[in-house]
Amino acid sequence: MTRLDATRILVALAGDEPIIASLGHPAYDLFAAGDRAANFYTWGSMGLASSIGLGLAMAQPDRRVFVVDGDGALLMNLGSLATIGWERPANLVLIVWDNESYATTGGQDTATKHGTDLAAASRAMGIAGAVTARTPAEFESAVARAGREPGPWAIVAKVAESAPTTKPPLDYVGIKQRFMAAIGCAEAAASGEPA
Amino acid sequence: MNTTASPAWAAGVCAGLHAAGSRHVVYVPDNPLSHVLRTLRDAYPDVRTTIATREEEAFGIAAGLYMGGVRPTVMLQSSGLGNSINAIASLLVPYRIPALVIVSLRGDAGEWNAAQVPMGEAVRPICAAVGLPARTVETADAAEAIVAAAGLGAFDARQARACLLPRRVTVPDSAGRAAPAAQGHRA
Repeated sequence: MTRLDATRILVALAGDEPIIASLGHPAYDLFAAGDRAANFYTWGSMGLASSIGLGLAMAQPDRRVFVVDGDGALLMNLGSLATIGWERPANLVLIVWDNESYATTGGQDTATKHGTDLAAASRAMGIAGAVTARTPAEFESAVARAGREPGPWAIVAKVAESAPTTKPPLDYVGIKQRFMAAIGCAEAAASGEPA
Repeated sequence: MNTTASPAWAAGVCAGLHAAGSRHVVYVPDNPLSHVLRTLRDAYPDVRTTIATREEEAFGIAAGLYMGGVRPTVMLQSSGLGNSINAIASLLVPYRIPALVIVSLRGDAGEWNAAQVPMGEAVRPICAAVGLPARTVETADAAEAIVAAAGLGAFDARQARACLLPRRVTVPDSAGRAAPAAQGHRA
């Protein structure tokens, strides 16, 4: 299962619900799998995709919030698992693309290639619904379940690198405003003040 | 409920953030900020709080809250600003995601620990370098107005804004005691 294959499965199951993407290859594959208004592509802040997802999940408890993170990015912000495990938003689905490498930066090994188990770490931090998916069928089943049953969920998907060839636009404010409008939180149009 | 009267600066911070429409405070705790947290708990039941494990995480959570329609406040000690630089510079600034940022200063006048001084002195240059407008709460009585103006300005302009709380305001007993030099210590 490549990361792009798995991303396509996610997009097909996510409906109109928001998807937050970690920078680099997870965002590039989300764009390639299906650019949609409810995609939020980060272009920096490595490690914070799961935190953005947590904040959004708390603000929008009636929406299912999906995050596509990377193994290296999550390793940079493991404390986020503890905060998610404490807040336990039932509507948060954290998907970790685990290719056991820093693929965006040239394929250096991550700790998950050398023993770190991010699903076990998630469970240890209080995210009871943490699973590992190794095949498209396992991943599809896990996402479908996470989409209908209370979470929080962490789905660690063991994926092969998919060498993206396209990138989302670099219009940061445009990405944000399109995303917010898609989830019903449009930023108010700039308006005048009474003189 | 058994509550301790909150100091004027802390009551002002709470009133100011509430007046700016903020209803969720994400924070990493700090000793002076405990007064703000107690006041929020006792007097502002409509304000939710979340503890982050690290300050840059708090900025990520705040970004998600904002995009979900909630006006966030991030509250931290100045040491944690150092942990947050990339979150502010590569998420809040380019995407124009606003937050009200309340910073309890270490390393300024009244500091007893020289290890806090270099980061404390770097706070204002860092804010300027990443494009985070920062105003100092010079007196306890000014806290409410400065915090409210910073918050309203942040959410109107979609730009994070910071309020800096000096130790002479948050720990008045320390007033008049100069910050130690960054190196060396005399007991």
